[in-house]
Amino acid sequence: MQISTNQSRRRFLRSSIGGAAAIGVGANLPSCFAQAASGSGGSDERILVVVQMSGGNDGLNTIVPYADDDYRSARPKLAIPSDEVLTFDDDNGFHPSMTGMHELLQDGQFAAVRSVGYEQPNRSHFESMDIWHTCRRKDEPRPDGWLGRFLDQQPVTAGGDVPALHLGREQQPAAVASSSIRVPTVKELSEFQLRGNDKQSLRKLLEKRQPTSTAGDNQLLNFLQSSTTSAIAASQRVTEAAQGYRSEVKYPETDLGNKLRVVAQLIDAGLTTRIYYVQHDGFDTHAQQAQTHSILLRQWSDAVSALVRDLDDHDHEKRVCVMTFSEFGRRVSENASAGTDHGAAGPMFLCGGGVKAGITGKRPNLTDLQEGDLKHEYDFRQVYASVLKDWLGTDPTPILGKQYKSLSLFA
Amino acid sequence: MNDMKMNGMETIDPVWAWQPYQPSADQTWDRRSAAHLFRRAGFGTDLARIDESVKRSPADVVGELVAGNQEPSEFRSTAEALAEATLAGGDPAKLSAAWVYRLLYTPNQLLEKTTLLWHGHFSTGAEKVQDARMMWNQNQLLRDHALGDFAAMVHEISQDPAMLIYLDSAINRKAHPNENFARELMELFCLGEGNYSEADVLELARCFTGWEIKNKKFRKNRYQHDSDEKNVLGQTGAFDGEDGVRIVLEQPAAPLFVARKLVRFFVCDEPSPSDAMLQPLADLFRESDLQVAPVVQRILGSNVFFSSMSVAQKIKSPVELVIGMLRSLKATTNAGLVADGLLSIGQGLFYPPNVKGWDGGRAWINSSTLLGRANLMADILDNDSTRFDGKSLSEYLRGQDVETTDQAIEYFEHCLLAVRLSEEAKAQLRETAASHSGDRERRMRSLLHAVTSLPVCQLC
Repeated sequence: MQISTNQSRRRFLRSSIGGAAAIGVGANLPSCFAQAASGSGGSDERILVVVQMSGGNDGLNTIVPYADDDYRSARPKLAIPSDEVLTFDDDNGFHPSMTGMHELLQDGQFAAVRSVGYEQPNRSHFESMDIWHTCRRKDEPRPDGWLGRFLDQQPVTAGGDVPALHLGREQQPAAVASSSIRVPTVKELSEFQLRGNDKQSLRKLLEKRQPTSTAGDNQLLNFLQSSTTSAIAASQRVTEAAQGYRSEVKYPETDLGNKLRVVAQLIDAGLTTRIYYVQHDGFDTHAQQAQTHSILLRQWSDAVSALVRDLDDHDHEKRVCVMTFSEFGRRVSENASAGTDHGAAGPMFLCGGGVKAGITGKRPNLTDLQEGDLKHEYDFRQVYASVLKDWLGTDPTPILGKQYKSLSLFA
Repeated sequence: MNDMKMNGMETIDPVWAWQPYQPSADQTWDRRSAAHLFRRAGFGTDLARIDESVKRSPADVVGELVAGNQEPSEFRSTAEALAEATLAGGDPAKLSAAWVYRLLYTPNQLLEKTTLLWHGHFSTGAEKVQDARMMWNQNQLLRDHALGDFAAMVHEISQDPAMLIYLDSAINRKAHPNENFARELMELFCLGEGNYSEADVLELARCFTGWEIKNKKFRKNRYQHDSDEKNVLGQTGAFDGEDGVRIVLEQPAAPLFVARKLVRFFVCDEPSPSDAMLQPLADLFRESDLQVAPVVQRILGSNVFFSSMSVAQKIKSPVELVIGMLRSLKATTNAGLVADGLLSIGQGLFYPPNVKGWDGGRAWINSSTLLGRANLMADILDNDSTRFDGKSLSEYLRGQDVETTDQAIEYFEHCLLAVRLSEEAKAQLRETAASHSGDRERRMRSLLHAVTSLPVCQLC
């Protein structure tokens, strides 16, 4: 997997900073949007922001067991020096890049669960990611994702705001695939509207369903038609929602920072969207890991902590939780290229004013491994169950397929 | 992924499916089926060529397409000369435009389409490789074998500098075998997940120890090769990397895996065919010593390919949408504009999203890419360099005896759409066209923009 360093992506980042402000205001506000725009606050329902660390985050260098000799001997090149670790107890601390998270922990807005994974871990990025997204193994049908199933249960608000939004240029994650709802993917707000000389007439044409002779039995065409009408509707609402946002918080000028700033804008605009999903790519650190991982963790820690601060300033801190996960951790022993190969269990993170701050789970046992990888102490569905039950207020069992024991992660 | 309805792919007779298509009253050989063939075996062609092909037999037309398995040397040298100019600059982003040139002008559309298939299959991203010439050399490797010898392609890709750099496998020491290439060789290139064990990954990785990229070139470092015995996929011996590739390709799962990829690429996005359905193709692939052309020829000339299980049962990739519109109307435009636009809607050439390449199908589509598709078409049609057989669009259409809005709608329908428009849909387009001000050229371009933005035009 690639590390996000290409020029066009960097240009995209820069251009999207001004992007939201540069959007022109439509003359007419669609009626469904009027409530939110008039400042009545829209919804007060709780919101989940998911940050996906793609590629397999090295959990051992994220929450560092710095006092463990086995850690130092497994990582002759990659172990974080003890005096650089941002400690939170006598044995454990954060990677030095994670100052933002360290402060959030001290402020009671950070929780982590260590050694999260699942039975018979799969070490393929795609297969493991699919397992995290759908909660199902390969031999079972997987038409939807866990968040998609959550969305399926929510009451439909016709013409309302999109129930979930994926921000980014990547492919849409299977976690938000649903049998009833099309979740939009938005790369950049300024691109999320029609342009050209004939955009008005084209919008009129595309916002209605086009009758065709064969649509009834062509499933792909049905899919394309509903995707098109929802794209046009979502474009109108999202564009208008982002107007006039002001923030004192300085977000890092990174891809993730920009995306999370847009999330804050949309939340503050009163969108009733309950799920936001962003990806942070590049964690597949097979070679020369130290610097890359340090940058990635800093980008993540700075951006997520900026979002939490910004939400605090706008009085949304009690209704937004940011959950971070990765498809697997990495091998305990470093490889010959000063990197780490695909592993198994790793930590998950929850940030925001509603979490019960602290670290759940024991220090990973580095001597009791399975094929060189950490064993899991918690199934990832236990964390999902806690989020669904205690945060989103729904019964997790039908969504997760069976009952998982939830953890005490929220205040 | 979604509400997948059976379209019959599970229940049809595999023997019938791959038998040669014989036109019949049910499945006529006409403009629609010929246009389907040209869209799938390439990107699409103009109505004159479609009409000319309808006069020949489908097998004859397919045979000719498959026979174009190497570029004419004259075209290759022009394409190379253009690429050299961008290679000199060293910016891999510019290479995308050089490939767009090929897509727009190649006389061998099937060869180019298949090269694009393998680019997604042996996915390698310039973003990470950061070397334009390496990417270009890999592209030639894929083109040379696109309709040729799959085994040779895998052997060469295993030693391809761009690939090994992309997979962090440029260094591979005896003491610490690098698992990445070994894993992807089995998971993504040849066998598919589930057809090997984790132990096979480790053992196969040992075969490749000592394979490295030094000074941008592949070499075998015998001091770093683990020459001990290995146990790979049930075979035991002191294997090296070539043995490893050979053993992987000998697996029964290999021809089935590649056949599945080819059917998904050429026939339909979903549902995924059963193993039984694919077995005749897998057998043919094995009997042909893993030659690609016979399998592609069998697929493109088959009953199932011309049936309702295939026609309009794929979602156009960005390349198929954009290059398809241009080639169907003999149009040319600024290659750089197209290259940047393709990246923005999810198919940057030389910039696949990850080692798995493009998932395709429904994954091409979301709100952002749908708006992006319409906007890219707007950009292309607004651009002065966009010409249709060297003319303006209205002049080109006049040359095809297309004068009125109704005639233009019908013309675009034949050229660009896999599904007929209903009368109501035509009425909506007429209404849209009537709302446009401006001269005839402006109105025709707006109409074309509207047609290409319709959901139905996203079907292939």
